[in-house]
Amino acid sequence: MNDFVSLLPLLTICAGAILLMLVSAFDKVKLETGSYISLGFFAVAFFIQLLVTGGSGTILFETLFNGMLVSSSFTTTAGLVILACGFFTVLNTNSYFKVNTFGSLEFYAIMLFGVCGMLLLTMSQELITTFIAIEIMSLAIYILVGYDRASVTGTEAILKYLMLGAFAGAFFTMGTALVYGGVGSTKFAAIGRFLVAHPAGSPLLIGGALFIFVAFCFKIAAFPFHAWVVDVYDGAATPVTGFMATALKAAVFTVFANFLAINGNLHGSWVTFLFYIAVFTMFGGNLIAIGQNNLKRMLAASGIVHSGYLLIALVAISSESFTGSVIGYYLAAYSAGTLGMFAALSYLGGEGEKRATFDDFKGLAKVRPYSAAAITVFLLSMAGIPPTAGFMGKFYIITSAISAGQVALAVLGVVSSILSMWYYLRLIINMYFHDAVESFETQGSILATAGTFILVICVFAIGIYPIVI
Amino acid sequence: MFEYALSFMIFLPILAGLALLLLPLRKEGARIVGFIVSVAVLFLGIELFIGFAGTGAMEYVEKRPWIESLGISYSLGVDGISLLVLMAGSILFPMVFTLFAPRSKGYYANLLIAQGAMAGAILSTDLVLFYIFWEIMLLPIFFMIGIYGGPNRLPATIKITIYTIAGSLLMLAALVYVGVSYHNQFGQWSFDIVQLSQLNLSGGFAVLAFLMFMVAFAIKIPLFPFHTWLPDAYTEAPSATTFVLSAIMAKIGVYGVIRFVVPVFEVEFARFAILLSLAGVTGMMYCGLAAIAQKDMKRMLAFSSASHMGIIALGVFCMNVQALTGALFQIAAHATSTGVLFLFLGLMEERMQTRNIEDLGGIAYRAPIFATFFAIAMLASVGLPGTSGFIGEFLIILGAIKFSGFIGFLAGTSLIIGVCYMLWMFQRVFFEKSNARTVEFQDFKVSEALTFLPVILLILGMGIFPQPFLKRIEPTALLQIAQVTNPSHQQLADKTALNSDQHNQKN
Repeated sequence: MNDFVSLLPLLTICAGAILLMLVSAFDKVKLETGSYISLGFFAVAFFIQLLVTGGSGTILFETLFNGMLVSSSFTTTAGLVILACGFFTVLNTNSYFKVNTFGSLEFYAIMLFGVCGMLLLTMSQELITTFIAIEIMSLAIYILVGYDRASVTGTEAILKYLMLGAFAGAFFTMGTALVYGGVGSTKFAAIGRFLVAHPAGSPLLIGGALFIFVAFCFKIAAFPFHAWVVDVYDGAATPVTGFMATALKAAVFTVFANFLAINGNLHGSWVTFLFYIAVFTMFGGNLIAIGQNNLKRMLAASGIVHSGYLLIALVAISSESFTGSVIGYYLAAYSAGTLGMFAALSYLGGEGEKRATFDDFKGLAKVRPYSAAAITVFLLSMAGIPPTAGFMGKFYIITSAISAGQVALAVLGVVSSILSMWYYLRLIINMYFHDAVESFETQGSILATAGTFILVICVFAIGIYPIVI
Repeated sequence: MFEYALSFMIFLPILAGLALLLLPLRKEGARIVGFIVSVAVLFLGIELFIGFAGTGAMEYVEKRPWIESLGISYSLGVDGISLLVLMAGSILFPMVFTLFAPRSKGYYANLLIAQGAMAGAILSTDLVLFYIFWEIMLLPIFFMIGIYGGPNRLPATIKITIYTIAGSLLMLAALVYVGVSYHNQFGQWSFDIVQLSQLNLSGGFAVLAFLMFMVAFAIKIPLFPFHTWLPDAYTEAPSATTFVLSAIMAKIGVYGVIRFVVPVFEVEFARFAILLSLAGVTGMMYCGLAAIAQKDMKRMLAFSSASHMGIIALGVFCMNVQALTGALFQIAAHATSTGVLFLFLGLMEERMQTRNIEDLGGIAYRAPIFATFFAIAMLASVGLPGTSGFIGEFLIILGAIKFSGFIGFLAGTSLIIGVCYMLWMFQRVFFEKSNARTVEFQDFKVSEALTFLPVILLILGMGIFPQPFLKRIEPTALLQIAQVTNPSHQQLADKTALNSDQHNQKN
């Protein structure tokens, strides 16, 4: 019984997705209604998840799902982050489709299916389940990325993402096969037991783990598998980009952390690789971001940098006392700031996303001071300036890195965030220190404004009351 | 009643500032709100000063846990180190709201937020809390220079922001290192400065962390060679902001060194003291010489402010009671003299639309009261006996000679440079022939004269009766020095008594 309670959020979203799919068969139902239905399902699932979080301890569904799923405070936190991301993305979408006309009801259904995949992914404790969850999630995201069939950049984006995503999926299955060959099981727990018995591992396990790492690195846009990010994020509709940048990353990082925390040996043997991946991800992302003129592209590149910070946390996790609190907290902080930025962009972007570059936002503060202030708060959070959530997130990550003896990595992370100040401040400077060139009229909905406002509060609330799980 | 006084001093201005941003007020209304809030803080500050016992320990302590899993607490307190810095921040602030033509409400909101954040940085006794206020402090400055600054404000803003953020992010890494070291040595988390001072740090990472802290504070002070952002930022900022930067914010850099670096990194600090004090002296000389060559009066004052910050920093690096007491005293003296000169200059600029020294002249004939007030502040800034500047600089040079004869000699002689540029500027601006521009110069309005009068009296008062101030600083300074030079408690008592005797004789 208790097992099903833990799964209730997933089931709720699943029911919502099926309901929306059925509803979208009817012509009379408006697009607006679809967004309200999905908002409702997200809200209900979020509160159920919140109640479930009350029960502490790790539940491994040994009897019901044969140990393939797990529920711990870390997975429920990740679930909360994903559900909140879904909620705010729907708010953005609602506003976005007021001015861009390619929306239809199926959009929301597919999005809910995507969230199902993500929730399943956070809980998966077995490689085949992980693969299925990744594919449920990815298929939904592929469709969302290319939803605007008339857009050339959107088509380019989906082609790139689909091709590379298929490769990543193939790598993952290959890795799973090899691991099964080495260990005789695909369960994380079994791999852990195998490593205890054979500390050196087996060649098949090592090779398989490498393939699985490649697949994860592709999904989280870590160096050297980050090249697709900028074009795909740029081509997708703004709310979808925000959704990809936050919810998808949260889901994949959760399972990645769970996988690494299986066993100290596994983590220990990959630490050096992860170290370099983290460093190159941060600095590679910064180099890309500094050169961008388009805001979405800049945010895409800054997302790579944030993946780098999260990788620092992965380097620093210790499997003995793994709670994932640092990762969970950073994911929440990062998601609040990023979603806020994408909410503001969806709202202010205008028809066909005509306002997209740094220059287009010149003088925004003179015309729309509240929007500009909100964007500033989000940017400061992403840059890690106190008292915002982003600062506490960065603080935890640096603390965990130094605690784990990775002082060099912590310092490099700090240097990287100095570099990142450049492109965050650039937008603030454009908004505040220049005269307005246009009137920034928009037809976005009140929901987007409300969503942005709640996110601003979230950014401060997460920063000032850092609840560590 | 004064249980929450410190929290009030921090959050009243910040909340008022945020309210100003959100509420639809006119600029005059915003100015009045700002003035009322800053006067309220001023009264709180005076009450604190009067009630301050001077025991050497933290007073008015507020402490409650904030992030317990990492031992971070919301803890505030005042002691001899922070008292005068805090006073400088609270007493001088109402002036920026009464002087000058009204500007937009965003400007006043930023000033208020800056005031609150600076009070927070001064009062925090928890390293993380300090860091948070330290960063918040930069944001209003960023906006004030960027939005309301002079014609070249953009490069100036970017320069100061990148400089300070780079410094403070390095500090973040260093402070986390300190916290983690504490956790490793004592088995629990804490960022409280009293507990952190028990740390024994050694090895390469300790030196690295020390240097990272020092870079952050050196940028804020600014210590040579990290001063290059200063002339641009000071020149382009609006006068009130320059005043805030010079009178208060620069002091928080020095204060941070005394409060957080010295107790934690005693060994590294002692090892680098000579190098640092040389940097201080070099900065004094370099910025002093640069000030002589300036044509823009504001730029000249900017360099002069940097030059005087050099001597305050020197006072900290000499590591003896005289120099430290002098530095703490000089912090207040510098704020009331050099800082206030920027306000005088702001008034002149508002009246004559220029600040080129060549375009001015003969102001003293037209505006005798203005010239007198300016002269008093200026003489205090160069350290004339009878003014506040003398006491501080005298004590610092005394300490510097004790520390190293060579450095003391250099510091003493470079004070002459200060006299050169100040008096020469005064001659060219206030005497000589008046021209078409300065002939119209109006003397103080009553309100302006009343604004400046208390400060002028304070300059003289601090110069003639320094004892009420010194006696509040000294106990803490003694404790601090004892901690650095003598980690062992046995010897601490002897040294304290000895130093205190010496000091009393010299006064």
